[in-house]
Amino acid sequence: MKYLSLLAFPLMFLFAGCMDDDDSVTGGEVATTVNFRAEYDDADLSIQSIAYDYPTGAKLKTTLFQYYVSDLELLPAAGGAAVRLADIDLIRYQSETDGSVTSRTYNVPVGDYVGLRFGLGVKPDLNAMDPNEFSADFVLNEVQFWNANARYVFAKIEANADLEDDGTFDTGLTYHLGSDAMYTTITFTGDFTISTTANPELNIVADVFKALASDTESFDISNPDQQRIHGMNQAIGQDIWTRLAGQFELQIR
Amino acid sequence: MNIPEPEAFAKIIYPPDNPTTEEGLALGRALFFDPLLSADSTVSCSTCHLPELAFTDRQPISVGINGRLGRRNAPGLTNVGYLHQTLFWDGRADNLETQALHPVADPNEMGGSWQLMISKLRRHPVYWPQFERAFGLKELSELNPDYVGKALAQYQRSLISSDSKYDRVQRGEATFTEEEALGNAIFFDLADEPNAGKYAEIPTGECAHCHIPPHFTNQLFSNNGLDEANSLDDFKDPGRGPISGSKYDNGKFRVPSLRNVALTGPYMHDGRFNSLKEVVDHYDAGGKYAENKDPNIIPLGLSPDQHRALVAFLQTLTDTSFVSQGVRESESQGVR
Repeated sequence: MKYLSLLAFPLMFLFAGCMDDDDSVTGGEVATTVNFRAEYDDADLSIQSIAYDYPTGAKLKTTLFQYYVSDLELLPAAGGAAVRLADIDLIRYQSETDGSVTSRTYNVPVGDYVGLRFGLGVKPDLNAMDPNEFSADFVLNEVQFWNANARYVFAKIEANADLEDDGTFDTGLTYHLGSDAMYTTITFTGDFTISTTANPELNIVADVFKALASDTESFDISNPDQQRIHGMNQAIGQDIWTRLAGQFELQIR
Repeated sequence: MNIPEPEAFAKIIYPPDNPTTEEGLALGRALFFDPLLSADSTVSCSTCHLPELAFTDRQPISVGINGRLGRRNAPGLTNVGYLHQTLFWDGRADNLETQALHPVADPNEMGGSWQLMISKLRRHPVYWPQFERAFGLKELSELNPDYVGKALAQYQRSLISSDSKYDRVQRGEATFTEEEALGNAIFFDLADEPNAGKYAEIPTGECAHCHIPPHFTNQLFSNNGLDEANSLDDFKDPGRGPISGSKYDNGKFRVPSLRNVALTGPYMHDGRFNSLKEVVDHYDAGGKYAENKDPNIIPLGLSPDQHRALVAFLQTLTDTSFVSQGVRESESQGVR
């Protein structure tokens, strides 16, 4: 699990150091935006329109990146109950027109906070519920099901790869991940203040490349057995899941 | 008006400004089956959406007034009220109310003009009173195309199917034959399940990534590999691209529901496949190359028995009671 990015730390402390004492009082709410930013190797993710380099020499074009977020919460500096921003949300990038940032705005109590956390995936109590228990336009009715009777796929990474460097992206990569056992709580620590006068921009960054590869090892997308990870081969998927869960960053600006 | 809905489905989202009423539903049903809505009163909605064919027309490409060929295959309307995202193969309509407005003025479908149509409806001795009652209109001038769209949407939201063999199996009221069960296992990738048992070695059909129950569609857009395209500008029908404004969506079409699919051939946006066998042949081969082909479309390696089983499973999605109800409604409108 990774915490605040190196970039985020000085920005955060600079921001926190400028806070007026009055900003620490609680009372009232401020509309606060959380940006879910998608990247590939530290650059904005583009669906389909960019051929990305992969460490094995292949190139790939991402066609889909999505993940569920459960219990998105802010952690008050004064302790006590976390401030729940969302019970469940689906963050999805599926079209070039989607851009690389999905924004959500929440009414947040003003005050000092020491962190943010969320569950990656669908939390177990919701994962046990049937979609007909929800509104048809609810995020758990986006038909991300394993099959007719099993519930939700927590995250998907899909791409078409050019393995032979011949300019054709003819190898499909589909990584569908998730189970109760995989559900992971991700916590970021760091001080920030929500106030009526200065409202930080909270950016939760997910990097598709870092879910598949690192400086030292890369998921072998040339292996046919590792081009399609669905249901049963979640043992292989666990590797990607662990990377995916571990690479999130919170940037506060 | 409370239209009964199956427990298994998330409830239909009724627009606040167009709740279904008895008067609105009756008006929508009458309009749906009435050729009055076309320029020369020869083509109704039901010309291309025949109840006995699960509201399709058995044509590769639908034919409008004066024999004019339309653009694409007529989609079925089974459970269309549950599809709250965009409609049409290219998703150019946001909801049923606005979708219903398109065919009337399309020169290759009903070929009319809304101005003339509204004028006709305002003078109509039967329809004007129905609009008055359904929507509380007071003045003729209040009648506009939106009310026609609303009435048609109310009727289409009543087209609910939940009694196919597949549904009955889910409710424990029926069982699949061995062949259907194999097809079900292929369709839902049961070989990927941890306890796949006798299905552990069968191919995965990869069907349910897009055609997921209960409505057997994810309501999204996909290039399912119908046409080879070395460039994204090569698609004869670009589908979603011109609507989204992105060439990366060229060649993508809305994933259709498979409910009653055995009745809705020929298949695909251009009706190129005459039978479910041909459809399964296509997916079994893995589709043709385009860089935006859905990566879930891969060669399946089905044996002849598995191929037949997948078709047999698809046939379990037929709901004859739904079709019969639609036929009775068309007869009640004097269509037969």
